[in-house]
Amino acid sequence: MIKAFALSLLIAIGIGSHANAQTIGYADAIQILARDCGSDIEKYCKSANLANSGITNCLAENRQNLAAQCQTSMVQVRNSIAARMKAQNDIWQICNRDAQRFCPMTQRGRGFVLSCLITAERSVSKSCNQAITNAGWR
Amino acid sequence: MIMMKHLAGALAGVALVGVMATAADAQSRLTRNEIVNSLQRTEGTVGAFDPMALQREAERAAAMGGDNAPGPVSDRLTRLPQLSVEINFDLNSARIRPESYYSVGLIADALHTPALMGQRLLVVGHTDASGPREFNLELSKKRAASVAAALTTTFNVPASEVISIGLGEEQLQDFANPYDAINRRVQIINLGP
Repeated sequence: MIKAFALSLLIAIGIGSHANAQTIGYADAIQILARDCGSDIEKYCKSANLANSGITNCLAENRQNLAAQCQTSMVQVRNSIAARMKAQNDIWQICNRDAQRFCPMTQRGRGFVLSCLITAERSVSKSCNQAITNAGWR
Repeated sequence: MIMMKHLAGALAGVALVGVMATAADAQSRLTRNEIVNSLQRTEGTVGAFDPMALQREAERAAAMGGDNAPGPVSDRLTRLPQLSVEINFDLNSARIRPESYYSVGLIADALHTPALMGQRLLVVGHTDASGPREFNLELSKKRAASVAAALTTTFNVPASEVISIGLGEEQLQDFANPYDAINRRVQIINLGP
């Protein structure tokens, strides 16, 4: 009985996180890394640079030596960033009809249509609003 | 009208520098939307502002040597939508220190918002006046390039939207106090679409 409950809870969480993907931005992601992997970075990646994914590459190369919390955070950060990038890429597909409906006269390109959709929060569809939230644009 | 808006933008930038200078934990207080607001262009244009010409001007000035730079190389820079960020590097190196990762990430997040999409960003490195002028110029160029590289690789900002220059000690924030920490800064300037 308890097992069944646990399983259903997991499924509920799983479904919830699918619809409401927990995404974080680069600043939060890199701050989690600096916090949880800071001492490992100082130890193993003294000469690694932030550019060219130098820090995450270096941490990955030293995976077996890293503190447990650092390893956990690396996976978490990678997934959250990937989720946000996917959300930012998927937005055109999800919000296409809303864009045609609510922003037909908006100049195309350079984020104008997205800005229009964000402003029109009360009118646009639930799925488009959720997509904008997942993209981190509130 | 355009002048007034430019002025407002410049004042916002200066105010932010003031906040940064007085607060010890300034880096954690800066938010993405503050960056967006500082960099957002209202209207008007930066006209024929040429960052590479400014870079050459600073190189000529620094090559004259001497102890300290006599004055700013540009008075146009302050009129562009901008903000200054404190980013820590290893000593005499362009390696960004982990405590400043967050600030660079925040700039990236700001550039990924619809409000700043497709805008060209100029990263300007500055040092204080300690050390030879040409050394400082080279160091500031490398540090600005290091921030630009982090933005365009690790943080996925389109490479066509970011350029960097270094002005060394040729454009101090505070010429009255040439060795003050306020002079060591990275300036982020929106050059428009």
